[in-house]
Amino acid sequence: MAGAALFFAATQASAQTGDARVQKLEDEVNALKQQMAAIQEQHVRELAELKALIRKQAESPTGVAQTQATQGTTAAPPSLYDSLKQSVASTVPPSALQGIDLDLAVVLDMNFYHDTAGEGVGHLKQHLRGFGHHHASGEGHDHGFENGFNLRHVELGFTAEVDPYFRAWAMVAVDEEGAGFEEAVIQTTSLPYGLTLTGGKLKSGIGRVNRQHAHNWDFLDAPLVNELFFGHHGLAEKGVQLTWLAPTPFYLLFGTEVFNGDNAHSFAIGDSDSLPAHDAPRLWTGFVKAGPDLGPRHALQFGLSALAGRHQMVHEDEAFSDGDTAIFGGDFVYKYDAKRSHGHGDFVLQGEYFYRDMDLDGHGTWSGERWTAKQDGYYIQSLYGFRPRWRGGLRWDQVGLINDLRTPEEGSANYDASCRLAAMLDWKLTEFSLLRAQAGRGWYDTGDGREDAWEFALQWQVTFGEHGAHDF
Amino acid sequence: MLCVAACLSNAQAAEIKIVTTTTDLADITRAVAGDLAEVSSITTGREDPHTLTARPGFILRARDADVWIRIGMELEIGWEPVILRDARNTRIRVGMPRHIDASDHVIRLEVPTQRVTRDQGDIHPEGNPHYWLDPLNGRLVAATVSERLCVLYPEHKARFEENLRRFERDLDTRMFGTALVDALGGENLWRAVAEKRLEAFMTEKGMADKAGGWYGTMRPHQGKNIVTYHRSWVYLTERFGLGGDLQLEPKPGIPPSAKHLASLVSDAKARKVRMILQEPFYTLKAAEFVAARTGAKVVVVSTMTGGSAEATSYLDMLDNVIRKMGAEL
Repeated sequence: MAGAALFFAATQASAQTGDARVQKLEDEVNALKQQMAAIQEQHVRELAELKALIRKQAESPTGVAQTQATQGTTAAPPSLYDSLKQSVASTVPPSALQGIDLDLAVVLDMNFYHDTAGEGVGHLKQHLRGFGHHHASGEGHDHGFENGFNLRHVELGFTAEVDPYFRAWAMVAVDEEGAGFEEAVIQTTSLPYGLTLTGGKLKSGIGRVNRQHAHNWDFLDAPLVNELFFGHHGLAEKGVQLTWLAPTPFYLLFGTEVFNGDNAHSFAIGDSDSLPAHDAPRLWTGFVKAGPDLGPRHALQFGLSALAGRHQMVHEDEAFSDGDTAIFGGDFVYKYDAKRSHGHGDFVLQGEYFYRDMDLDGHGTWSGERWTAKQDGYYIQSLYGFRPRWRGGLRWDQVGLINDLRTPEEGSANYDASCRLAAMLDWKLTEFSLLRAQAGRGWYDTGDGREDAWEFALQWQVTFGEHGAHDF
Repeated sequence: MLCVAACLSNAQAAEIKIVTTTTDLADITRAVAGDLAEVSSITTGREDPHTLTARPGFILRARDADVWIRIGMELEIGWEPVILRDARNTRIRVGMPRHIDASDHVIRLEVPTQRVTRDQGDIHPEGNPHYWLDPLNGRLVAATVSERLCVLYPEHKARFEENLRRFERDLDTRMFGTALVDALGGENLWRAVAEKRLEAFMTEKGMADKAGGWYGTMRPHQGKNIVTYHRSWVYLTERFGLGGDLQLEPKPGIPPSAKHLASLVSDAKARKVRMILQEPFYTLKAAEFVAARTGAKVVVVSTMTGGSAEATSYLDMLDNVIRKMGAEL
């Protein structure tokens, strides 16, 4: 500005010729101009050097060539992109720049529950014929809901990337009786060839529902077959898992696991001296999941699972059995994405089937006898988003279509199946809260004959802390 | 068999596989990478990008990707982590050079200045992530992508830079019209826009009556107010000088309530709102309720490439949005 004023003054002055003072002024102005040009040149050079240095440090040669300035200014300013980059960097909030994150999420889950069975549906499920055995080493507490208000355990989930090699998560379940680990898992993140190794206490990858935590279930409770074969927490064991994502053009995942085999429902190990000792690991699993690519609206996945492990049972004071349990399963899920907001119009059809074969030899008073059980169960469920954030669902459960037992006491027996129908309605107000109503009717084959029962529940669940991402 | 193997290896040698989270990113990336890359998007442009299920097909695409590009600012927080975790592709993990966050150098709006709680609805702590509706941000995203591709594939640097300049020229022409861009240069016009002195700049250069393109279309409507469903239009309204503070949602991500709509009707009347804008994936009930009581017109238009028949590219998507707005305002 000052330069321009001087220049303006100088040109005006030069009109009056012959004035020595004007000549002097012109000389001064010229000297000033030269000085300014030199300074400008120096600035341009310094700026170029500085920019080169920045690029070098960032190891990123600039991708942006400057468009030619049309005004014909002598020194090109930094490109629009480069200059905005600087100003934008200052507006990025510090939280976005934090390098180390520990995600913490807490789930609170309460419900009001009522059923019409005399001793409760939880009791019926423990006494289904063929399924209703008790273990000396069985879980001490039952997670079945009691009539009235229930507070399901509070889940505390911690997740973090540990270092460039591992991630870890821990899911701690706290209830009124104490605290325990639902999962405590270390997982590799950098193995080559599509391999991932997971260790700790983890939910087995068999089937679909088994891997989900209770707060992600589509219904208040787990399917009957999962509950009867693996318990309320599903098959969650100490051990390791190796999975391989095959380099195929369709989704193909193989997995195998080695576990201690402490599950009280299918792989329990007795603690009586009369039983042979089997060192852990005692449970091996394998599974495969495959899914064709059906375009943007449809998704389909099939799974097969196989489990083999040791199983011991204490039947009465001096009657024991020891042997093997094998379980085979198949599952599928189909999802339709209506591409509307908040699940409106989305549809899910999902089912799982498990077959269990136990073959045990008697010990103690049962010495020389054999105890076998061949049983199965399945469920099929469907969900539909009839409004944004609202879903309706139906689930049909059946266990014991095959229910053949041979016991030393009763010989061979073929028991009836038990089944259950449940309907649910849920409303996800936001990603973080859910209200659900569920009603069900069950027909249970117990030792005392067939018992029918209604179940009603209202569930109220919130998650706070980090925004979790959902698995398929 | 040999031929298949040869073809496969050939294809792999010639192509960079780039996967983007959204179609707008895919289109901008295609413009920059040209035929050097095979670019695909996880979303189709027809769905709400906030909520998506991480399906097996997405995991495969991430598995095979050489470069991954996301919108960022937590837009994809509900699904990107699962895809990247299950894809087991260490090259594209967050923070790696092959994971590009397109929001790195964009101009951000609504960055919270104090602690946010979820009582305020679905607030993104890094700012409103719908930034691609500002054409200037589209331009910056293209430069960001080009810059990173030049680092990753220095052998193609000249091509990327040439493509970028072509894309910028296209975008500038659509924004300001040929006359302005030819006379003043796109870069200078945008600089004036960023410094909020475009009108002064045009007047200074004697080009005040030469405004064309999107700017020319929206110029007569500056200062007008519109209602939108979600706060996904603020970058557009801010860039073109419209008032975009009225939403059908009482808080981001919270569905319209009767109480909120009642007060919105009076606000809309007071501010002489003539248009209610929303994306196709939202239900129309709330918009129609307000429209019936204010006389405003409901305009449903896609904000994502591929979201409607007209939105075949990023620039066409913006073109369609602005043309519809210009016609109805």
